[in-house]
Amino acid sequence: MTTANAAPPAEPIEDADQVTAPARAHWFRRLLRDRAAALALVTLALIILGALFAPLLATHDPASNSRSIMTPPIWSPMGEAGHWLGTDGQGRDIYSRLLYGARLTLLIGFLAVGLGGFIGSLVGLLSAFNERIDPWIMRTMDVLLSFPAILLGLALVAVMGQGVIPVIIALSVSSIPDCARVARGIAIGVMKQEFIEAGRAVGLSNIQLFKRYLVRNAISSIMIFISLRFGQTILIGATLSFLGLGARPPAAELGMMASQGREFLLFAPHIAVIPSVVIFIIVLSANVAGDALRDVLDPRLQA
Amino acid sequence: MTATPLLDVRDLAIEFKTEGGAVRAVDGVSFSVDRGKTIGIVGESGCGKSVTSLGIMGLIPTPPGRYAGGEVLFEGRDLLKMSAQERRGLRGGRMGMVFQEPMTSLNPVYTIGAQIIECLKAHGMRNAREARDRAVELLDLVRLPSPSSRVDDYPHQLSGGQRQRVMIALALANNPDLLIADEPTTALDVTIQAQILDLMRDLSDRTGAAIMLITHDLGVVAETCDDVVVMYAGKVVERAPAKDLFDGPMHPYTLGLMAAVPRLDTDADRLETIPGAVPPPWAMPAGCRFASRCPLATDQCRQSPPPLREIATNRLVACWRAPIEEIAA
Repeated sequence: MTTANAAPPAEPIEDADQVTAPARAHWFRRLLRDRAAALALVTLALIILGALFAPLLATHDPASNSRSIMTPPIWSPMGEAGHWLGTDGQGRDIYSRLLYGARLTLLIGFLAVGLGGFIGSLVGLLSAFNERIDPWIMRTMDVLLSFPAILLGLALVAVMGQGVIPVIIALSVSSIPDCARVARGIAIGVMKQEFIEAGRAVGLSNIQLFKRYLVRNAISSIMIFISLRFGQTILIGATLSFLGLGARPPAAELGMMASQGREFLLFAPHIAVIPSVVIFIIVLSANVAGDALRDVLDPRLQA
Repeated sequence: MTATPLLDVRDLAIEFKTEGGAVRAVDGVSFSVDRGKTIGIVGESGCGKSVTSLGIMGLIPTPPGRYAGGEVLFEGRDLLKMSAQERRGLRGGRMGMVFQEPMTSLNPVYTIGAQIIECLKAHGMRNAREARDRAVELLDLVRLPSPSSRVDDYPHQLSGGQRQRVMIALALANNPDLLIADEPTTALDVTIQAQILDLMRDLSDRTGAAIMLITHDLGVVAETCDDVVVMYAGKVVERAPAKDLFDGPMHPYTLGLMAAVPRLDTDADRLETIPGAVPPPWAMPAGCRFASRCPLATDQCRQSPPPLREIATNRLVACWRAPIEEIAA
């Protein structure tokens, strides 16, 4: 602590009087101290970087066919030098498709979680803040909750045609009720705290109370839930693609790649297995990282 | 009773809707507070004293709460007839409130300075520099050590007593005329209690603010208050200047409360208690609400509720048997 020369020439005991909170490491450093979390974060970062720089890292055009069809990966005796992870049923380079596929899968996941999480938590927070609208909002959420994402996706594709956007919408809408419920639960806990009433007692407006008292105190717990939700959304997104609802064929998407490899599962298993493993790794890392984030950030879990 | 009192509560009734029907938590409460005076509201848990104070502040959530009657005149204007906007302007402006739990009454994510500044800005202060100076000045006023550096502390960096000082600073930020303190010292240890009470009394002397002190601690009342309102089961049972009340309580309930205070100058092994419990609000007796626990109750007490009547100068008691001087305990 620097000597406070701004302080008035006060009592000499001033510094002894200062209650210094025990210095705690920055939350990010504490996060990295957890080995599993660190590994998950590094994995996620690598996958995200790979997806971002797909055009630079890809060795082939992800959509163009080649004559070598169903080539196994390079470590197999029948592998070909040019295709590190082999080729798929149409002779497309799996490694390159994987990069582009991860790009689309992650994009769908981020957008859906972001959109659904934002709307959902806003709705949940408002619901907790205003008891009058609460029953209406929560019953609406119950209705949404009874609507499976896959069904919603099918309906939207039927209306809008195949593409990424209906999938994103279906995924967002299906994460709204979950996020709303969790956000409401967290927010109700905050609303019960005495400082909300104290805030009212100093004459703050509802908007100030909502923004500065409720949202600021609930946001970190909500963010943790949303980050945990990310893995799940990616998984449902891949499922939708697997069912043929997502991206249109020449484009690559991990779920779609797994789906296309299904036909060759017996004689060229790598075509389906490799994208599935990547989905698995993404979901696992996202969940481990989210969990660790909660352990580090959630004040209730700190002894 | 010459000029208009600062706060004049007349026949205030507040109800709460529950599954078993409406429950009247406050039933026909009347009292008034003059500028610069301190009034104590005493009674056991659930007697309606906190609801009364929240009702005056306009902090009763409606629904489930409902103002079922009466008036709350603040400088002659009825608060219950004001718009929500006007009431909010009064809260934290001309009326401040200090809560029971200093540990949880401050927003944990902002510095104490930010919270005081926020309160100042909510009541019209625009200049940020000025607001910050005022925040430091307020923290100095409530005797928080080294206020100019403490202003940037977060609530968790302060002790309970220090936080209660900050709460008082917040309540006083806009020079209120009325300071409502709802058991401000219950959560604090005894030495800090005395300091906080001294501080409030001193500030009220200096700023001329009236204080409404809600407590169940008769010792606190004796030490700080000019007038006392004793509440029982949502009603006022006795109202008197503090000195007179302690010299000669007139309501059997007040007598019972006083007998229950442990004393240093007598040698007793057991604390006195009042037998029985407060009747539940949904099963209030027709007559005096204290009748079932009162050693002096008669048939008249059980059948018709006693009105609050003036028995001696400035002494109001709601008891058919009053004035009584002694109870054989």
